[in-house]
Amino acid sequence: MNRSVHTMAAVVLMTAAAPTAVAQDAAQEIRIVLPEQPANLEPCGTIITNVGQILSQNVVEPLTVIDPITGQPQPKLATEWTSVDPTTWRIKLREGVKFQDGTELNADAVAFSINRMIDGKITCSNMAKFGDAKLTVSPVDDLTVEIKSDRPEPIMPTLLSVVMIVSPKTPVDQAVNDPVGTGPFTLSTFSPQTVVLDAFDGYWGKKPEITKATYVWRPESSIRAAMVETGEADLTPSIAIQDASNPETDFAYLNSETTAIRIDTAEPPLDDPRVRKALNLAIDWEGLAQLFGDDVKRASQMVVSGINGHDEALEPWPYDPQEAKKLIEEARTAGVAVDTEIKLIGRNGIYPNGAEAMEAMMTMWQDAGLNVKLTMLDVADWLRYLQKPFPSERGPNLLQMMHDNNKGDAAFTVPIFYRSSGSYSTLADPAFDKEIDEALAATGEARTNNFKAIFGKARRQVAGDIPMFHMIGYTRVGTRLEWKPDITTNSEIPLANIAIKD
Amino acid sequence: MITYLGRRASHSILSVIGLLTLVFFLTRLTGDPSALYLPLDSTAEARAAFARLNGLDQPIHWQFLEYLRNLLHLDFGESLRQNRSAMQVALEAFPETLKLAAVAITLSTALAILVGSLAAARPGSMFDRVASLISLAGASAPDFWVAIVGILVFAVGLGLLPTSGTGSWAHWIMPSFVLMLRPFGLLVQVVRGTMLSALASPYIKTARAKGLPRHKIIFGHALRNSLLPVVTVAGDLATSLVNGAVVVESIFGWPGIGKLMIDSIIQRDFAVVQSTILVTATAIFILNIAIDLLYAVLDPRIRY
Amino acid sequence: MTIITTDTKSVTAPGTGRLLLAYLKRDKLALAAAIFLAIVVLAAILGPWLVGDAASRLGLRQRNLAPFSLGSGWIYVLGADTLGRPILARLIVGAQNTAGIAAAAVFASMLIGGTLGLVAGYSERWYSHLILRLADVVMSFPSLLLALIVLYTLGPSITNLVIVLAVTRMPIYLRTARAEVLELRERMFVSAARAMGAKPARIIVRHIAPLVLPTLVTISAIDFATVILSESALSFLGLGIQPPDFTWGAMVANGRGYLTTAWWIAFWPGLAIMLTTLSLNILSNWARTVADPQQRWRLQTLRKAAR
Repeated sequence: MNRSVHTMAAVVLMTAAAPTAVAQDAAQEIRIVLPEQPANLEPCGTIITNVGQILSQNVVEPLTVIDPITGQPQPKLATEWTSVDPTTWRIKLREGVKFQDGTELNADAVAFSINRMIDGKITCSNMAKFGDAKLTVSPVDDLTVEIKSDRPEPIMPTLLSVVMIVSPKTPVDQAVNDPVGTGPFTLSTFSPQTVVLDAFDGYWGKKPEITKATYVWRPESSIRAAMVETGEADLTPSIAIQDASNPETDFAYLNSETTAIRIDTAEPPLDDPRVRKALNLAIDWEGLAQLFGDDVKRASQMVVSGINGHDEALEPWPYDPQEAKKLIEEARTAGVAVDTEIKLIGRNGIYPNGAEAMEAMMTMWQDAGLNVKLTMLDVADWLRYLQKPFPSERGPNLLQMMHDNNKGDAAFTVPIFYRSSGSYSTLADPAFDKEIDEALAATGEARTNNFKAIFGKARRQVAGDIPMFHMIGYTRVGTRLEWKPDITTNSEIPLANIAIKD
Repeated sequence: MITYLGRRASHSILSVIGLLTLVFFLTRLTGDPSALYLPLDSTAEARAAFARLNGLDQPIHWQFLEYLRNLLHLDFGESLRQNRSAMQVALEAFPETLKLAAVAITLSTALAILVGSLAAARPGSMFDRVASLISLAGASAPDFWVAIVGILVFAVGLGLLPTSGTGSWAHWIMPSFVLMLRPFGLLVQVVRGTMLSALASPYIKTARAKGLPRHKIIFGHALRNSLLPVVTVAGDLATSLVNGAVVVESIFGWPGIGKLMIDSIIQRDFAVVQSTILVTATAIFILNIAIDLLYAVLDPRIRY
Repeated sequence: MTIITTDTKSVTAPGTGRLLLAYLKRDKLALAAAIFLAIVVLAAILGPWLVGDAASRLGLRQRNLAPFSLGSGWIYVLGADTLGRPILARLIVGAQNTAGIAAAAVFASMLIGGTLGLVAGYSERWYSHLILRLADVVMSFPSLLLALIVLYTLGPSITNLVIVLAVTRMPIYLRTARAEVLELRERMFVSAARAMGAKPARIIVRHIAPLVLPTLVTISAIDFATVILSESALSFLGLGIQPPDFTWGAMVANGRGYLTTAWWIAFWPGLAIMLTTLSLNILSNWARTVADPQQRWRLQTLRKAAR
């Protein structure tokens, strides 16, 4: 009785006290403010930013993790992997791992998790990384599984980084909001206001310093920044560039996102390479970069460095308005209808300052003599233009887009964008398709070089897109935390990597 | 009275059904949710499977019949985003909106009656001018602007209030203040206007001639007779707040139904859109009937 | 007293304009409001012609230029926005869309809502009930949902934004008009017209509508302000006017992210909205005072009161 009175009093005091006290009261607890509420906490959806940032490596763990610097897969729940033949991989599992509900991690549990992903009884976003590959999984012994695919899958260990292992007690035919995994934290609350994670005592690895993490969400960047500044929160993974004003707490990081404009190569006058090159040349890239911050990197291809296939030597298009005008004139004399109205299709809220960038680019293209008109669309409407089947009567169009490949390999980029079957691709070149297929089947150095050649061709000859920038994310980290963002921050924030300063 | 209530209720039910039907077909005009729920690089098979799992592959009139059939069993569908009952999601959010709306509308009406009456008591005075100007200015500013500036000043600059969120009483101050601005500004105008006419009417002159104290005349006699228009306007304002204060909820991270509705609309989470509209529309119709009843209480001449 | 008798007669007399001007001069606040609105209207008409080029010219190296900084020309006196475009020029050009959208939406909702209200109030037929249920539905239909549906199915454009705003404001006119008609149709002159065999349509248009109109016009002045604010709230949520078109509301919404670093981007358009809506409210208050015989003396006897 007495104790509950005390607790009551403490609660009242806590809630009535100044907000700053809340976050710092317990030194081992932290509060993280995300931009968006996670819609659900289904472990099969960890590639969705707001789900992954909470669950990934905290509650549930994958078989492998990608090293942020080299892009190579590293052991997590899998300790070793070997390719038995081109379509079969044998995976060794970690010993002595327990799920948060007490179940042991073994080959059956892994097979269960993979089957739950591929069965199609629940909507599994992570499956998309496997494309249309057909997998079969079979336990070999207690701690070994074999994964077979219907075609060679040279990057299977990389792909395994999206396979989140869940307890065999998880329902197979229903998406869940109370995931049970092997991670260092258990989910204790999921309400419309917060998600709370508590440390899991039976964790197999090193105990994290943090014992409790509370997640809240606010859509306005300035408010997230303010919350960390006032101490109401300790960390926010994403703030807008204009809010990143304090060098002590605000860190920039290359976030694996590449912004670009897709040119619809099937629609005249954009089917003419001269017009497409002119579009690339007419942009004042240095001026445009001002919108995204000093640390932003001009892009020449759709993947960032660190991804297998990225060509460091590939030069981006320069700003050359004279050359652009000349190319347009050449096309005009050759009978290309360069005065046709070209729709520039933007998407609301695609990235910070995205609408401003579209307005600026529209003006620059108009200055170059092209009849470009901007339309900003809502996500669902924009998607119709992004993905096949494209709307009929779409007309010549340029589409604002952003691509995020943090999975270590250009295979997650090239086929979707450049192969004629790719869901974003407007190209239809059988020769190019063949080169892409060869690259996808290759391994080792040949794979890297093939992808480099594809990016080179896409940039120099095809010019089917306008790569803009490798984007920079900004985080604000409270002064009592020791943590730096990296290329994986957009998909996960492992609490184990966060230390508390004394 | 009973027949009146019965008629109003049956009209309201008709309107709710009409509303739900309209929303059902209109929302489905806004595109296929599978594009939003699946990763951009999913295969066509995955999309087809998604549509099949969620009954989106059926013809739309069939989906509607299915919806109505489930409605009879009080099954409002599953949220696509949240993996749980859509009605549960809506009912969790609604009380948060209702609490905030109640605080905002009660406080602003009470304050407006006070300020408006005092302004009407001495028309043209300094108080009248300042009160009118300030209340109008408050009502004329975009609310999201006031909210963000408020946070920057009171939470970041002065450190007096929490930036956002829920919990202590301090969390209520800024959201309710922002929500109050517009109702307060409009109501001060209404109170002042009706009070001015009331104070000029013969019965007040009689009361004055009888030598009743000033405050009794204003708050006793004149006010009672000016309440009807105030109730009308306050009722309308309350209605719009019940529909969710999207901007305030979104900025302050208040887990209300307005934010839920806009998120579900943007995400094409149809079942949740339907459920939130069912909840808010029902509340609005109940509120409207309550306002009519309040008329009868305030004005003995009104009988139903 | 003589003044009052002359002007009660003069509501339609030729001297009305001058008299109103005289009233306006008495009320300094109303005068200021009228002048401000006149400037806004002028900007709306002439703005694009005067500074249209400056408003869309990029100046990426003048991004977020602070206000009152000299050296970049007078057009930059209020600073520059996130793309280095002069805010003053954008305010002037934006007045056209802002005022145009609000005016079109208010006019359309007044016309449609008023007409439906007249019909619903006068007739007891089935369509009157249908109109009332329709009003109920529209009232409880979230405007944001409507905005999204229209944006998606019809595409983002100024016309479609006007449709959204007009539909959501319509029930107010409908209900007001109906309430007035319910009272008016029992009056003597209507019964007389009916007895003389006038058709319902004629009675509504000739006898009732002219009496309902003033009330609707008064509401529309305040509603104009509401529409400007709702339009800016839609922009805040990304459902309002879409670039490259812009209004003051959209300017505030875009500038909100810069309140800590470049406050002027959201401040000036916010101030413009506030002053416009404030002026409208002040003027409509003033108009109500003028129209109300019990209150009009306040504007007439001020001269005597001044000692």
